[in-house]
Amino acid sequence: MFQRKVDKRIRLVNVVLFSLFIVIILRVGYIQVVEYEQLNKLANQLWNRNLPIQANRGIIYDRNGVVLATNLTTTSLILIPSQITDKELVASKLAPILGVSKTEILKHINKRVAMERVHPEGRRLDYKIADQISSLNLKGVYLVKEAKRYYPFDERLAHVLGYVGIDNQGLSGIELQYDYYLSGEQGAIKYYADAFGNRLNLSELYEQPQDGINIMLTIDYRIQEAIERELDNIMVHFNADQAMAIVMDPNNGEILGMGSRPTFSANNYQKYATEVINRNLPIWATFEPGSTFKIVTFAAAIEEKKVDIFKDTFHDSGSRLVENARIRCWKHGGHGTQTFLQVLENSCNPGFVELGQRLGKELLFKYFDLLGFGQKTGIDLNGEGTGIIFSLDQVGPVELATSAFGQGVSVTPIQQLNSVSAIVNGGTLYQPYIVKRFLEPETNSIIQENSKKIIRKNIISQETSDLVKYALECVVSNGTGRTAYVEEYRVGGKTGTAQKVKDGRYLEGNYIMSFVATIPADKPQAVLFLAIDNPKKTIQLASMTVTPHAKKIMIDILRALEVKKDDTGLGKQYQSFERKYYEVPYVIGMEIKEVRPLLSHFQVEYAGSGNIIIDQSPKAKERLISGGKIRLLLGN
Amino acid sequence: MKTKTFDVYLFIAVIILVIFGIIMIYSSSNIWAIYKYNDALKYVKAQSLFLLVGIIIMIIISKIPYLNYYYKANLILAICFLLLLLVLIPGIGTVRNGARSWFGIGSFGIQPSEFAKLGLVIFTAKYLAKNDYILGRVAKGIWPIFLITLLIFLLIMLQPDFGTGMVIVLSIVALFFVAGVNFKFFIHIGILGVLAVIGLIMGAPYRLLRIISFLDPWRDPLGSGFQIIQSLFAIGPGGLLGFGFGHSIQKHFYLPEPQTDFIFSIISEEFGFMGILIVSFFFLTILIRSINIALRTNNRFAKYLVFGIIFQIIFQTILNLMVVVGLVPVTGITLPLLSYGGSSLLISLIGIGIILNVSRY
Repeated sequence: MFQRKVDKRIRLVNVVLFSLFIVIILRVGYIQVVEYEQLNKLANQLWNRNLPIQANRGIIYDRNGVVLATNLTTTSLILIPSQITDKELVASKLAPILGVSKTEILKHINKRVAMERVHPEGRRLDYKIADQISSLNLKGVYLVKEAKRYYPFDERLAHVLGYVGIDNQGLSGIELQYDYYLSGEQGAIKYYADAFGNRLNLSELYEQPQDGINIMLTIDYRIQEAIERELDNIMVHFNADQAMAIVMDPNNGEILGMGSRPTFSANNYQKYATEVINRNLPIWATFEPGSTFKIVTFAAAIEEKKVDIFKDTFHDSGSRLVENARIRCWKHGGHGTQTFLQVLENSCNPGFVELGQRLGKELLFKYFDLLGFGQKTGIDLNGEGTGIIFSLDQVGPVELATSAFGQGVSVTPIQQLNSVSAIVNGGTLYQPYIVKRFLEPETNSIIQENSKKIIRKNIISQETSDLVKYALECVVSNGTGRTAYVEEYRVGGKTGTAQKVKDGRYLEGNYIMSFVATIPADKPQAVLFLAIDNPKKTIQLASMTVTPHAKKIMIDILRALEVKKDDTGLGKQYQSFERKYYEVPYVIGMEIKEVRPLLSHFQVEYAGSGNIIIDQSPKAKERLISGGKIRLLLGN
Repeated sequence: MKTKTFDVYLFIAVIILVIFGIIMIYSSSNIWAIYKYNDALKYVKAQSLFLLVGIIIMIIISKIPYLNYYYKANLILAICFLLLLLVLIPGIGTVRNGARSWFGIGSFGIQPSEFAKLGLVIFTAKYLAKNDYILGRVAKGIWPIFLITLLIFLLIMLQPDFGTGMVIVLSIVALFFVAGVNFKFFIHIGILGVLAVIGLIMGAPYRLLRIISFLDPWRDPLGSGFQIIQSLFAIGPGGLLGFGFGHSIQKHFYLPEPQTDFIFSIISEEFGFMGILIVSFFFLTILIRSINIALRTNNRFAKYLVFGIIFQIIFQTILNLMVVVGLVPVTGITLPLLSYGGSSLLISLIGIGIILNVSRY
């Protein structure tokens, strides 16, 4: 009886113990099934160590495949402190090779981190130094591949391309804007480590780095090179504060070239002031456009049928009174009676006041708005400026008058060029862009292609567009743009000279000279904007400063775009101070005395000996300036 | 009463477990052993010696009639008392892992608290069996035994070794329960227990930290929650089948002293859930075979003795596993038959030997 009670209680305790065991088993199951994923992830974070392998950053090409930004493979030093057994030894061996003190290295070794980079001495090592280090065979000392960004053209296109930081992260320009595509994904050698960080002899995992996507720009490096060359020349000749240029395809908004001064070396950006490296002037700078802005007024007036540029005439007495303000023409005494085509050719301010008044503020400012002034163009680069246009309620008669010829408004170079593009392409405003294609890094096959993006269509009619194009060609052949005339090609353009404003006042003798060109004039394939900020020691006229340089760029653009020679255009009207061009005759095979009269316009230089001409430079049918040098090679 | 052969199933289950224990001590300790002693087999060698001696002693004990303990119970307990006192004296007792719990003999250590566990069970079983009438008179019969238990508990707490103390107290309480002590008594010691826990926490704040870290180990993953988290990092990733023998990662210095309290974590990591099921199966076999022996015997002393011994072994197992899987706060207690530790293994095997002897009748 008593015994049965005891046995009953023993069984009860047994059941309790048994149940507790089941609870434990269930708990283990819960940990290993339900909590498995979470614990496994955390545990692997604890066990795993990574030796990073940097991905190659995407290469940047111009539109023809010229490499603009690429990678140099370098090696960097990585220390894994826990694996270094003899710290003193490692420090004393590494210090002289890296050229730093032993205590400095010891500081790195003694850090309580899984992995330590010796920054910056141990990064981007010379291969000789890397060789020396690897031959030491030190435990816990690793060399890993690291790609260093390299810009073959250094300070060319620097603002557009931008630059990267020490960890290859894009910090400006295309590098920043498209960092997501360019950066790729870091790879790693993953290994298991014990709690002290020693590598365990368990499976290692090699994670291939994913190289960044290559980017092809719309830039044509031949055009870019021309821009850069002329910008350099401008800075030398005029000791200018700043200079900037953009070339764009008006038929789709592709940027063919973009540059500015001061520039910087993208490979060594740290050495430059932040204002220099961060301001991409062609899209950042805002200034009063001056006469290049007249193209807009001109086009608006034609479109709104307020003027017949061939028949309507305007008398310029040298100034015009608007309310109480006297608006002067740049030419003292005025241009006299002119057609409105001549008003544009002469860049006559009072004539544009007249056009502005015929349009009225609503219509004129409507076109400013339609053509994108006062708004960002949306180009795929960072740091774009907005510019300022009067709001309608601020516009009185004086503001209307000055805005019509480009004063009292503020624009960016890219806005100015984009509006001219829209005017000469038949009335379509495009969003400018600079990245043409994304290319697969291995094969360079196209992943994605950017195409033209229309902001607004039918801003002006084709007829208006054709008239403006013709008028711009006239400016170059007859008017203020004559110094930009390119022999045997048709080009159009418009100069601009604007006084700079500081703190609401015009600065004396401080101008921005600009030139907008259409190349070729009849069917523009490129439009050019070139501006010089504060040229010194020169006649303060755009035609004497900016236009000759623009011409040199235009010649290179014509060549790069393989524009056919075309002399059906308007001949150039020569003025006394300008020289004529003559066609070079074919003289090979002739004797010296026969040749002399044929080459009377030129200066002749002989080379070699004999009396028969066996070669000539320039070749026959080229046009050479009067008094230009012609070289003849003599033989028998 | 003529003697039969002992319970073979119980014997085999124990042998399998202890041999598996040796294997797992090797797997879990070899990394630490190389690091500390430059000898991968350091722990295995010591434990193997204890195991060999232990198995021999177990077999010998299984042949010694258990009634001898009945007659020598007071003497056994007196010796245990003496050892518990001696171990506290600096110079005689040695400190290992922060507790003065050992008599050091070379690299071997003897823990008197382990012997006290067995001694007290023998003593209690004797007096519960001898005087039926004391069961009805709690004040005269039960309280004196309980006070002796508390005294031993206090001596063990001076080392300190809370885990072993708990096992001892609870095994005696369980014996009281089985013997049918008046229910009021349990309410009294329940209240006493709560007061004691509060007192202990006040005395040593690290115990409170352990409780808190048990509730949320992630609060201080590098401090008080460290052991539990490291244990979970071994159990969790083990999954269904584990990483395979010898492939634990946590034993690479993540889990401190993995061959002792947290050997179960390493088993989980290397053999997964299946391994845990198999190990549990053997422990449960030992439990059920022993309980059957206790139920079968008509000798009341033997009944209490077997119950007391198996309760201690299994309860300690449960306590250890609950710590390892994060169900109770870290108490610092080894896994019987599997963990590294000579005295613990020896006493467990002696206990099993006694149960085996009972199974002969």
